Amino acid sequence: MTKEKTIQITIDNKTIDARPNQTILQAAREYQIYIPSLCAMEHLSSYGACRLCVVEVDGLRGFPTSCTTPVEEGMVIRTDTAEVKGLRQEVLKLLLSEHPASCLFCTEQDECKQYMGTIRKVGATTGCRYCPNDHRCELQQIAENIGLTETSYPVYYRNFPVEKYDPFYDRDYNLCILCGRCVRVCNNVRLNGTLSFKQRGRVTTIGPAFDRSHIDAGCEFCGACVTACPTGALSVKVSKWYGRPEGQVATTCNYCSAGCRLILQTTKTDVIDALPDYDSAVEHGIICVKGRFGITEYVHSPLRYGTPKEMTPAGYNDISWEEAIAKAAGKLSGLKPDDCLIVVSPQLLTEDLFVAQQFIRQVTGSEEVASSFIFDLDGDAASFINLALASEPFETIEKAQGILAVGFDSTYGYSPIGVKAKQAAQAGASLMSLNSFESNLDLLSKIAFVVNSSRWADVLDLTMSRMSKGKAEKRFADLVEMWGSDLNKTCETFSCSSHNVLIVGPGIIDSPDRGKILRSIERMKNEYSWKVVVAHQYTNLAGMFAMGACPGIKPGEMIKEASADKAVVLKAELIHIDLRKKRKLIYLIGDASFDSLPECEFLIYQNALPPQCSRQPDLILPVSLFTEASGTVISAEGRVLQVKEAVAPYMDSKPDWWILKSIAEKMGKGKMKFNDVSSIQGEIKKIIKGFPAVKKRIEFKEIEVKGNVKTHGKGKPAAWKSSYRGIPLGEVVSGIKVIELKGG
Amino acid sequence: MNIVRNHVLISIDAGTLMSGARAVEDALVKEIVKQGLDKEVSVLETGSIGITGRGVILVVYPEGIYYADVTPDDVPELVEEHLLKGRPLTRLILTETPKRTIITKEKTGLLKEQPRIVLKNCGFIDPENIDEYIAAGGYEGIAKVLQTMTSEDVVAEIKSSGLLGRGGAGFPTGMKWDFAIKTPGDEKFVICNADEGEPGTFKDRLILEGDPHKLIEGMLIAGYAIHGTRGFVYIRGEYSLSIERIEKAILDARAYGLLGKNILESNFSFDIVVMKGAGAYVCGEETALIESLEGKRGHPRNKPPFPINAGLWGKPTLVNNVETLANISEIIRNGAEWYKGYGTEKCSGTKVFTILGHVATPGLVETEMGTTLKDIIFEYGGGIKNGKTFKGALVGGAAGAFLGPDMLNVKMDFVNLKEYSAALGSGAILVMNEDTDMVDMLKSVLHFFKHESCGHCVPCRLGTARLVELIDDIAASKAKKEDIDQLLEITRVMKDSSFCPLGQSVTLPVSSALKYFKNEFMSRVTS
Ligand SMILES: Cc1cc2nc3c(=O)[nH]c(=O)nc-3n(C[C@H](O)[C@H](O)[C@H](O)COP(=O)(O)O)c2cc1C
Ligand code: SF4
Ligand code: SF4
Ligand code: SF4
Repeated sequence: MTKEKTIQITIDNKTIDARPNQTILQAAREYQIYIPSLCAMEHLSSYGACRLCVVEVDGLRGFPTSCTTPVEEGMVIRTDTAEVKGLRQEVLKLLLSEHPASCLFCTEQDECKQYMGTIRKVGATTGCRYCPNDHRCELQQIAENIGLTETSYPVYYRNFPVEKYDPFYDRDYNLCILCGRCVRVCNNVRLNGTLSFKQRGRVTTIGPAFDRSHIDAGCEFCGACVTACPTGALSVKVSKWYGRPEGQVATTCNYCSAGCRLILQTTKTDVIDALPDYDSAVEHGIICVKGRFGITEYVHSPLRYGTPKEMTPAGYNDISWEEAIAKAAGKLSGLKPDDCLIVVSPQLLTEDLFVAQQFIRQVTGSEEVASSFIFDLDGDAASFINLALASEPFETIEKAQGILAVGFDSTYGYSPIGVKAKQAAQAGASLMSLNSFESNLDLLSKIAFVVNSSRWADVLDLTMSRMSKGKAEKRFADLVEMWGSDLNKTCETFSCSSHNVLIVGPGIIDSPDRGKILRSIERMKNEYSWKVVVAHQYTNLAGMFAMGACPGIKPGEMIKEASADKAVVLKAELIHIDLRKKRKLIYLIGDASFDSLPECEFLIYQNALPPQCSRQPDLILPVSLFTEASGTVISAEGRVLQVKEAVAPYMDSKPDWWILKSIAEKMGKGKMKFNDVSSIQGEIKKIIKGFPAVKKRIEFKEIEVKGNVKTHGKGKPAAWKSSYRGIPLGEVVSGIKVIELKGG
Repeated sequence: MNIVRNHVLISIDAGTLMSGARAVEDALVKEIVKQGLDKEVSVLETGSIGITGRGVILVVYPEGIYYADVTPDDVPELVEEHLLKGRPLTRLILTETPKRTIITKEKTGLLKEQPRIVLKNCGFIDPENIDEYIAAGGYEGIAKVLQTMTSEDVVAEIKSSGLLGRGGAGFPTGMKWDFAIKTPGDEKFVICNADEGEPGTFKDRLILEGDPHKLIEGMLIAGYAIHGTRGFVYIRGEYSLSIERIEKAILDARAYGLLGKNILESNFSFDIVVMKGAGAYVCGEETALIESLEGKRGHPRNKPPFPINAGLWGKPTLVNNVETLANISEIIRNGAEWYKGYGTEKCSGTKVFTILGHVATPGLVETEMGTTLKDIIFEYGGGIKNGKTFKGALVGGAAGAFLGPDMLNVKMDFVNLKEYSAALGSGAILVMNEDTDMVDMLKSVLHFFKHESCGHCVPCRLGTARLVELIDDIAASKAKKEDIDQLLEITRVMKDSSFCPLGQSVTLPVSSALKYFKNEFMSRVTS
């Protein structure tokens, strides 16, 4: 690696090393030299609108803005002369002449901060404590740093109606300073294009062109604009009145397999917001609506279970944990292995999954580690798993010359993958999208096939046939007629490129024809060297297979570097799970796939929210959710990612592993002497070296299934709308219900 | 379709009208109909042709023959001889070659002879006829360039001519072209800035309407000089006649092989597209113009990079004003030395001014750089209307400066005006008589800026709003003395911190109005 050239500049008599394409502001910030600015933001292009970052530079006329002026060798810069300071004050005064300002220059300000004595004595129009951003506002900090204590202008209130009609966040453009951060992040970082400036000059506002609602304009509700906004103009509905957060915890989103890193903002008891982390190596801050807005409402749902419950003829009774554990242990004791069915969610943490499989194997003596993903995929489970566990890292998409996205849409999920595909397409890659509805990639696609999923395999086969210049088969006739010439062109680029990426979307799992589609994808991968990236909702699927939390596969067996034999293919016997057979007991661990379950005499339900079904559980064991637990997940890319407890478990809820090991202890079975998460991790370390601090990606073997897997379930389950622990997010998070109904 | 063989131009101005021009015109039209020539010969009124004291003047095109002292009695003979038989009527021909002079607004008198470079053909040729342009020496410049000059030669010639950009800033054109030629790039663009948003300015419109081919030729030469591949005329949408004419001119030039591939069988290929703007003032600023051309919102861009390095779609782009480009072919044909013969040492050539307001004859005038304000107003503009006295002028458009009576002798050029903290700008001169309320004048200027601020940056977006509030109060005699200080303070902040020259330039009208007419402002405020 060649070392990057540096150039020397002097800021306020301090000589520093800057990089050639930096601006003065960027260089200064790297050396903690403070220059105020409201419109400049890391990861966004320079904009030069707020004019607060003016400086003096030897040899340059006037007062250049440091956010737009590139550094040059030997530059001498002064950031704090009297002129510069005076100019900043005057510009800020102008800025505040149309921004409610009582929170900035109230004479009572200091006292107020301490005692809140004057709280809400001023009108809504002038701001003060009525601003949702009070105490966490960049404008307040800037006013303080610039040292503005009074203004020369009367404050003009623009009187825009506050916009509250879209889900998740409110917009009060009376507080907007037109810094353009939201517009830039929406257009240039998210490549979405919902936001723009409307009107001109002083009456400029922000919003979708032609005054459409956000939802109609294709807003993905990723909330990047809200995060970028330095003022209270954009605020999150559920958390706007919480004030300044007390704590902040970095963790991993548990809603899908992408494994986005999140920064959870908290008070003592609540998670109040989930912010993207633009420095994260996983998704670079490109998170989706579920991670951004779907967490607070879910984990603080009023429906959450706080104590164990037992079904009685008179309804549910709250019971103590002691009673609950004893009850479960009693019911499980003396059962033959196939008298009971234990279903484990792929959205549990790795540590919980490890304990769960030990529980099933050691306590019930069964190999039937059932899971909803097996019910969903049925006979196609093995081929899907092989694709999913071998998924290429997302950055493979960056350099792709050809991209084919099948059953994939990133409007309300899988943003890190979707935005990478868009970036590549913008940089010139040929993007083809294949879906049964119009997807958010279509606009940048060379061809956007919108056809029923029963034809997807045909389109894939046709693509392969075109790539190898094969003759057109009869079954393609209508496709050729509709897309012939475009398809030829696109396939031409595909066949000329050595770097093609196929994105497998969750739409495939939902398709009744997924078997055919998966077989075509396998051919593209094996015969045409397409690299495959898989996006799916089974958050910790990789963790599940690493931990052997699935039938017929032992802990560690699937991990390439962990097992002694060097074979890349594991001949496994995915145990046949018969879903027709009536059971004595069913135990759902973080799952709620009631539609697929056989009848049973006793139902234990270990989850956080009530299921939506007519079969009421006989025993309810309340669990803590991922915001309240620590552990890891293994993402679709094979990364081991940390989940960290942000707030204490809700009421009396307990982590999954604790409940399982307590039952086992009570029954006197199994070797599960775990006191905390790190003791489980110690066990796992025997399988995965260095766990949980694993830097390398986990690589998996392929499985070859002996015999035919058939669950004999009740047919294809309902499409997996985004859900967590078996509960559709739309049932808990009001905004998600709205976007699933109106958008998408 | 009628094919008009001859155009008879009849000069209609104060002088000729007194000599009976209308009677001659009537007789001419009747006689032409009588001879059955009305489908082949058209009679056109034009403004002053610039000859006085010789009665009614006619010019017959395409021959370009001038007749003087024509009476209604001469008409039958003239029509029969010249228009029917094609034999010019020698006894009436004006022998001395007329010096080409300015025409102010239509129907005004001839004022003073001046060389015409930019407006040379305006009023003399049919702008919709490429042949007439060619007959007047048009496209000789590009032919000369293609046959005898390298790109570097062209740039050197323009550099040595001393031509300064006429879009307002007065940046040396040759230097800009030199940067352009030195910027590497396989694709480079030439943009003609025909947005003409400066209030009171309409010179570019008249050039486009009167001589569109001159602009095409200028763009061709610019394209050749900088190794450009494509040209764009960014024109304000309201200029419908200009758009029509330039579009027709482009089609005609293409048909003649003057645009497109291998122009005049050379290796040089270049074509031009017309793009319409939506009339935002800021879109005249070159980087906002480029954004708008790209289909984006009309916000200015950061500079650097300058358009010459990264302009339209990130490619090196040369932006020049209409008038700048209209000078090019003449410089190439006649040489830089000839050009430098006009104007002042630091500002060569001529300038097209638009004179309006309280003058006797408002209109367009092309004079040498360095002509005094007094000459322009009193010689060409005919002085102050209705015998009133001169009070002041707003020079250079809204982004220009007010000048008081003691500035009448100032030489009007880019360099000289700067010394008086004024600007030549677009060359608009708004003349005000003794009755003018200067506070009201400044008020309308500030309202213009508030309306046209694009809203991108804080000082301009909010500064213009505050300025308007203050000036409204001052105009309504509701303000205090400190409000005037505040007015100046805001413009100072805007000058020092606005993103683009629009906001930076508001200080000019405000400080100049207060410099020359302070008393008027003071009398409106309470201390
Ligand atoms: C607010 C603003 C408006 C402008 N409007 C025009 C215009 O209408 N026409 C024009 O030619 N130049 C205009 N300019 C100047 C252009 O930015 C640019 O300098 C000019 O087109 C360059 O051409 P020149 O070098 O031939 O003068 C404007 C500049 C500003 C700041
Ligand atoms: S809404 Fe916020 S981020 Fe967007 S322009 Fe206004 S202040 Fe800036
Ligand atoms: S893409 Fe997946 S991991 Fe990322 S925020 Fe959305 S749901 Fe969470
Ligand atoms: S100074 Fe600022 S607001 Fe004014 S026109 Fe220029 S960029 Fe727009």
